[in-house]
Amino acid sequence: MKKKITLFLVFVLIMTSFAACGGAKEKTPSTLKWDIGPEPYSLDPQLNFANDGGNIINNTFEGLMRELNGELAPGMAESYEITHEGTVYIFHLKDALWSDGKPVTANDFEYAWKRACDPNLDPEPARYSYQLFYIKGAQEAVEGSVSPNDVSVTALDEKTLKVELVAPTPYFLELTTFYTYMPVRADMVEKDPGGWARSPETAISNGPFVLTEYKTGESLILSKNEKYWDADKVYLDRIEGFMLEEENTMLSAYEAGEVDVIADVPIQEIPRLKENNSDFYILPSIGTNYYIFNTQKEPLDDPLVRKALSYTINRTAIVENITQGEEREATGFVPIGLLDKEGNDFRETAGDYGIYKDAGNAEKAKELLAEAGYPNGEGFPTLELIFNSYGSHQAVAEAIQQMWKKELGIDIRISNQEWGALQDNIYNGNFDIASGGWTADYADPTTMLDVWLSYSGNNVAKWDSKKYDTLIEESKTMTGQERFDRLYEAEALMMDAMIVAPILYYTDTVMVKDYVKDWEMTRLGLWYFGYARIEE
Amino acid sequence: MNNISPDLWQPITYEDRDKERIARPSMTFWQDVWRRIKQNKSAMLGFVVIMVILLLAIVGPWLSQYSYWEQDLSNTSQSPSFEHWFGTDGHGRDLYVRVLHGARISLAVGLIATLVNFVVGVLYGGISGYFGGNIDSVMMRVVDIISTIPLVLYAILLMVVLGPGLLSIIIALCSVYWVRMARIVRGQILSLREQEFIFAAKSLGASPFRILVRHLIPNTMGTIIVTITLMIPEAIFTEAFLSFIGLGISAPKASWGSMTSDAIGGLRSYPYQLFFPGAALCITMMSFNIFGDGLRDALDPRLRK
Repeated sequence: MKKKITLFLVFVLIMTSFAACGGAKEKTPSTLKWDIGPEPYSLDPQLNFANDGGNIINNTFEGLMRELNGELAPGMAESYEITHEGTVYIFHLKDALWSDGKPVTANDFEYAWKRACDPNLDPEPARYSYQLFYIKGAQEAVEGSVSPNDVSVTALDEKTLKVELVAPTPYFLELTTFYTYMPVRADMVEKDPGGWARSPETAISNGPFVLTEYKTGESLILSKNEKYWDADKVYLDRIEGFMLEEENTMLSAYEAGEVDVIADVPIQEIPRLKENNSDFYILPSIGTNYYIFNTQKEPLDDPLVRKALSYTINRTAIVENITQGEEREATGFVPIGLLDKEGNDFRETAGDYGIYKDAGNAEKAKELLAEAGYPNGEGFPTLELIFNSYGSHQAVAEAIQQMWKKELGIDIRISNQEWGALQDNIYNGNFDIASGGWTADYADPTTMLDVWLSYSGNNVAKWDSKKYDTLIEESKTMTGQERFDRLYEAEALMMDAMIVAPILYYTDTVMVKDYVKDWEMTRLGLWYFGYARIEE
Repeated sequence: MNNISPDLWQPITYEDRDKERIARPSMTFWQDVWRRIKQNKSAMLGFVVIMVILLLAIVGPWLSQYSYWEQDLSNTSQSPSFEHWFGTDGHGRDLYVRVLHGARISLAVGLIATLVNFVVGVLYGGISGYFGGNIDSVMMRVVDIISTIPLVLYAILLMVVLGPGLLSIIIALCSVYWVRMARIVRGQILSLREQEFIFAAKSLGASPFRILVRHLIPNTMGTIIVTITLMIPEAIFTEAFLSFIGLGISAPKASWGSMTSDAIGGLRSYPYQLFFPGAALCITMMSFNIFGDGLRDALDPRLRK
């Protein structure tokens, strides 16, 4: 018997050593395993409106310009000319190819941009269409007064694109790095307007990677795009993207080596990771986390109530003790890091609208609430605060629930919802107070302030101010400090109405294994792995 | 009469007479059960622990200067100390008070759910078993249908309709758990109703309700009690599970399930935040299970040695 066991063990040993040899001989393709977070709503450049989809699109598509190491660099455009005092742009395209070998033409851009302005787009109009309102005719097309074909973007020939702007826009080149401005292939889109971007057969792209597999709710695979114009410098052969949503699962997977990159960690672990881990990064991000008030619903239709709620939040306690990721207290909607024409930080110049970083303004809040008819919170209905379970939302909500209870004597029911359900509820106005976040899509305050235009698809507070619309629209026809004066005035208008209670300015807490080199995160918080390497 | 011989008419000896005497005082069934369960050390331990937890849940929070909802954001995630016996959580709330508050919630859910199950299950099963025939068939098919729908589904639907909270959990538990009790009671009554004492009661003109409540159900009490003691930990666990996946009670109220769920994120840095509510849940569940086991042994005449 003993002999048999020994024999068996020897056999097992030999077999396993064979297996080990077999594994070592094979040349393993260089694969990056990336946790992409919750399943993206869309991978279609024009239809996407969130960072989770933006991360993928940023690696599969490429716009006229792109951001490298925080600098603007040419992408599909070889060169460009700016004429007519900054209102006409002419882009000359590179000889770049799509992943199926066809050349990238100016027509692809024209098609994509006009597509974004189509109010009757199948399957739904682009929520980010207002990103193109700088282009002549775009706003009119979205509003339906002209046809999308009248938008002033024209392919002069295969490789030349002419764009006419409404007014000189100093950051127009930056805008062209954004996903709404990325080209798509008309023949592919028309095959399946709703699903082409998720299906590897039709998801033809022009960036460093191309989608080769998509498993709903589970994972996706990006493979190197051999036809990419700079393919020689693209080192990674494959990116495996996993849709792990829960931070604790992410961290476990990361620590077990199952993924190389995670974009979030459980907040409770941040102090430890900050202290011990060289592969833990806190990256600055230009974005604001805020609570949206449904301004159509009682009692939140009263600005006094909204102000009282906002003033009571002790933001310092939240960033220092709850989120702990070196976030900054938010005292206005436009985040820190955006400069005006004179080089001053927009946030610092605009002031704090009576929002103190700590709860110093709680007395004023009590007075306001009493003035609104709810002294000491008496008679105040129990409102519901909704958020999704991602990140620190639950912890922040619990802390704020307590602050409101303690300072104002009002009860709030907090309810954690699944991401998809939450978005449905928010966009359909089916909420009282909701947690929201907005990160800049380009480095200018308009990226934030555009959200609250009365006709913006993202104005989920349902706030309607003609004066605000006018200010923003005027600002788009101006340049210099005059333009910023309008923007300052606009922000003051929305903050005095307190349609949102700003809470904090985001940072990104990410972990990337030390052997992954040259990865990038754009200033606007999108991952870019085009030139990333994996060191053996 | 001739067959009886005179020598049969002998006075018995004292020895034989004493054999018939009842030497010890007679005991009722429940006294006997109590005697037996007292000998079962682990079951008694379980019982004592349950009592201690019950007591702590009732008076424990008053023994502490903290409340379960009061946050102290300058004092978050403190390790256990004299000031905070179980440490504090990520919002600076005292974990000791929160664990005891969780005990209140868990025990309340367990007891209320079980009480409802007892009343509904016993009556339903009793009626079904006693009347038999078509009534039985219809009633048992209803039970079959209810037991095919998973509890979590009920729970989610109720949360949508009623909003998350203690009430929804209790309603969810109550609407499903009684079916097992009904089946057990029905099985018992099916066999009991054929016995002579029921026949006697019927002959004397007792109403079906009286027979059910006065004769049949008391005779199934042993089984019912065992089922109940095993059902309580199940209800507690289900509540913890629902709270853990976020369907349970909402903040700032705490249950063991929601506390473990909160603590999972900091598992690597603050394991004690998971340990205390987890341990409380384990100890409670185990105590009820051990006690229920002992009770079954004591109640079941076939298991007597």
